[in-house]
Amino acid sequence: MMKKICRYLSPLLIAALVLGSLPVAAAPVSPGSDLITTQDVLKAERSQGDRERIHAVLARDDVQEQLVAQGVDPAEVEARVAALSDAEAAQMADQLEQLPAGASVVGALFAVFVILLVTDILGLTNVFPFTR
Amino acid sequence: MMACLERHRISAALQNARLAGVLALALMMLVMAGCASTPRLAESTQRHLPQQTLLEDVPFHGQRDYQCGPASLAMVLNASGVPVTVDTLIPQVFLPGRDGSVQPEMLGTVRRQGRIPFRIDGTLDALLTEIDAGHPVVVMQNLSLPAWPVWHYAVAIGFDRDEKTLTLHSGMEPARLESFKRFDATWARSDRWAFIALPPGELPATGDGQDALDTIADFERAQGAQASLPAWEALVERHPRLAMGHFALGNARHAVGDADGALNAFADAVQAAPDLAVAWLNLGLLHRERGDTGEARVAFERAAALPGPWQDRAQEALADLIRQIG
Repeated sequence: MMKKICRYLSPLLIAALVLGSLPVAAAPVSPGSDLITTQDVLKAERSQGDRERIHAVLARDDVQEQLVAQGVDPAEVEARVAALSDAEAAQMADQLEQLPAGASVVGALFAVFVILLVTDILGLTNVFPFTR
Repeated sequence: MMACLERHRISAALQNARLAGVLALALMMLVMAGCASTPRLAESTQRHLPQQTLLEDVPFHGQRDYQCGPASLAMVLNASGVPVTVDTLIPQVFLPGRDGSVQPEMLGTVRRQGRIPFRIDGTLDALLTEIDAGHPVVVMQNLSLPAWPVWHYAVAIGFDRDEKTLTLHSGMEPARLESFKRFDATWARSDRWAFIALPPGELPATGDGQDALDTIADFERAQGAQASLPAWEALVERHPRLAMGHFALGNARHAVGDADGALNAFADAVQAAPDLAVAWLNLGLLHRERGDTGEARVAFERAAALPGPWQDRAQEALADLIRQIG
């Protein structure tokens, strides 16, 4: 019974997913005209193949999920991702964890404190405001 | 005797260790001091820059918690005429899971606010030149060492070449003075990442036409042709020989319904670069759209003769047109 349902359901699901992703892929293309867009030309110049373009579309979905996981208001997520360029979206999708985020706090270890105090005085760092 | 020898050996080893330690420390100091020499300006920059500049009109917003990202954005956006508050920007750029804001989203948020985020070269020359042109610069710094990073955004608003200091709106401190040396050491740890936020129609004082073109194309993707039109106009005025600039202007004009203007821009594009196949192709498509089949055919023939990614498309269009004319 379950198998039977799956057999009918999976092609439908595949079709729905494919159809659902098509408008997204088509969205950045020219608004209601058949001219070649500037963005298409720049992508072609960078010899960006179909594979990269599909990656760029998927990257945006991926970033949306990651932003929600990082505690961003779901109502804001779509607009935040839409404002990114393709390269930025790909960067966010691939390495959000490694991207530096201004501003975090320094680990309050005493050894670290002393080292940073010295480097501050040497003019290499700027952690403590009183060292100027 | 044995003990003496033993003692002698220990004291020798101790002495060696002390010597090695002193040497290592001295070496470390040298290396560190070597890393952080005061950066020098290029001759050409020195000639055209004034000794001091301060952009007094850039408002200051003190950061709360870890929100130097939204605060820095509010300062440069306000300075470029967008009356947005830090509280509006926090949900647009702050990442609660990271207690901070990441670089791509800093740029994206500028686009959402209708301004174009131009990355600038990571040199003191470019930084000071932009400040002198009246553009406050958002810089990313690592205030600490790479092993324990303290990432920070600040806004550079002025400099004093005699004192070798930079003026920054930073954290809780308006118009803070930092020596070029200390600033450059902390800026270098972000690979000297910096950008300016300009209204469409204004261009950075540094950088080349191709960089500006890519940046405006990214803005257009997010905000559409209408908002980008002044930026394209400014780009072709500044770089009249950049054929892709004319091409982009043609597309933007066409998208807002200015067909005559678009035709002119595409014609300028093929004049600047007669081998830009895609400009001939769009010129032909536009002529065909207006029912001007003779002109369309000439343009398609030029495009179809040029090898490249658009050749198939052009040959197809040419064949269609010939079939249509009969």
